[in-house]
Amino acid sequence: MDLTPVRGQNSENTPDLIAYDRNHINTLLSELTAIDQLIGANAPKKMLPAGMVSIDIPAERLVEAARLLRDTLGFEMLSCVTGVDMIDHIESLYHFRSLQHNWLLQVRVKLQADNPSVASLVSLYPAANWLEREQYDLMGITYSGHPDLRRILLEDEFQGYPLRKSFRSTPLVRHDPATTQVSAVQALSGEHIRGQERIVTKRFGQGMEERIHPGMPTFGSSAEYLKTGQGVIPTPEEQLPLGPVSPTGVPEATIGDEGKAVERERRADRLPE
Amino acid sequence: MATEATFRPGTFVDEGGLRSEEMILNMGPQHPSTHGVLRLVLTLDGETVINCTPVIGYLHRGMEKIFENRPYMGGIRYIDNADYLSPMLNEIVYAMATEQLMGIEPPRRAQYIRLIVGELERIASHLVAIGTYGLDLGATTPVVWCFRDRELILDMFESLSGHRFTHNYMRVGGVMFDFPKGWIQNCEKWLDVFEKKSLPDLEGLLTGNEIFEARTEGVGYIDPQQAVAYGLTGPLLRASGVNFDVRVARPYGAYREIAVIPQIRQEGDCFARYRVKMDEMRECVRLIRTALDRLPGGSICQRTPIALRPQRGETYASVESARGEESIYMISDGSEYPYRAKLRGPSFTNLQILPELLRGNKIGDVIAILGSIDIVLGDVDR
Repeated sequence: MDLTPVRGQNSENTPDLIAYDRNHINTLLSELTAIDQLIGANAPKKMLPAGMVSIDIPAERLVEAARLLRDTLGFEMLSCVTGVDMIDHIESLYHFRSLQHNWLLQVRVKLQADNPSVASLVSLYPAANWLEREQYDLMGITYSGHPDLRRILLEDEFQGYPLRKSFRSTPLVRHDPATTQVSAVQALSGEHIRGQERIVTKRFGQGMEERIHPGMPTFGSSAEYLKTGQGVIPTPEEQLPLGPVSPTGVPEATIGDEGKAVERERRADRLPE
Repeated sequence: MATEATFRPGTFVDEGGLRSEEMILNMGPQHPSTHGVLRLVLTLDGETVINCTPVIGYLHRGMEKIFENRPYMGGIRYIDNADYLSPMLNEIVYAMATEQLMGIEPPRRAQYIRLIVGELERIASHLVAIGTYGLDLGATTPVVWCFRDRELILDMFESLSGHRFTHNYMRVGGVMFDFPKGWIQNCEKWLDVFEKKSLPDLEGLLTGNEIFEARTEGVGYIDPQQAVAYGLTGPLLRASGVNFDVRVARPYGAYREIAVIPQIRQEGDCFARYRVKMDEMRECVRLIRTALDRLPGGSICQRTPIALRPQRGETYASVESARGEESIYMISDGSEYPYRAKLRGPSFTNLQILPELLRGNKIGDVIAILGSIDIVLGDVDR
């Protein structure tokens, strides 16, 4: 297998620093000591591929650090805001660009896993407005001080944060292999439930007024539909072969607490540094 | 997305004591000038736009979640649909991010092929942008001519990769196929015709057109500081006089050997954005010719394992897409699936400035300004 590594992370002789030579990066690293003085500690720094520097900043000093980056160090553009679910904590990452010095800097802020919250950067960078809203929408990070923190890509009624690792787009359901067939009761009523999907077997001339599109995933607003809508919610007896359904319409028998613990363990040893 | 209850017209009293009422005008999501499923909720005072709320998300497909559930190679096919007017450039950024994680580099020939198809895709994308922009402003001929030229590019892509739109052509470590027999001659012939015939024709239709100039010159001005603060990239930023191009600032692939001359205009209005796109197409032709002349031999793809398992780590790969900086922040946990892949689409960030630009303008300029921003909704919603 021909896998000659052309660059290794954190190595001294990285051949990829053609456009951004070592001195260029060293200048940035020496400038970043201003951040160390600001937070009163040595902020962990890391070299990433393609000449990017990563720095970790405590969440409570983010706005001051960003102001320093913008006004003193010349990082005038905020390119990207990313949220990452690391299971035991949640990260909010910011990618700053300096057009005048041609630098690229990644700022990492670690947040607690339950109720992650960090100060918003909209007052410094107007670009952060939608970028932060997107992460709020998909990752569930609350940016305090944001002028208009609403969902942006998903509908307002959506429940959950899809990019969290705990979110399942296709819920795990305990399937009994013997009951892959629709039971007689369900066949007569014309519908059965698989996970969060409510599948209506259309029979000619029957139940047309209550028909939902087959296979329509019932997330968010559709889950609301299941709760309050006019569709027929099957009685518990009818649901028995495919797991109980809670009164909210969301099935409880997805992945139990012990299953979560197992998955957390499985994930923990595969986490990146 | 937002619910209807968010939008309520207000009333106000003007200087003369006359009580007047705001009007809410809903534009889209099904509107020919929004270039996709974009909905604009405009608050109007007479003909003046007071406020504009873009409502997006109608095309959200959860692409980042899809990446997490596909092997690295499988994501290339999905990222085609992000910016569906320049799929090749999307594929390049995805392949680049994975290569950076794996620590490999494609062979030189593959890098040159990437440059050639990438610049062809940029021309194709700009042709759509300019043609439909003319159509938005009432000029019906340019769109036909633009699509005629673009069709020939798509034919070239079809003979190269097998697909017109979703090419699925890039591979981690190189490209899928080499140029077929006669492709290079065909491409050179097309470049000649395009540069000598099509581009001057198109320029003659729009650049000197009095109606086109009157509707675009001085409309939708963005000053450089504002453009940088809003994170704008691409032709939008360069039309405001800011010299930033990822191909120049942080060159990647074959751009390290073939220098790009960034096309910059100082005016910052809609007309300047159109001119930057026209100039960029000429620059693309020059780049493709240079790359075809210097095209090195050798293999087109690095040998990689069938199941890609990049080492643990993270990277932020950027390319200059047709609309600006297209980046992927990717984390690998050592498995066959990306742990997280965040796609930074240029259209999403560029669209943010729209309410700021529309405020105070007449309603007739809404389409002229929106068209000059040149968004692709697949890239906005992802």
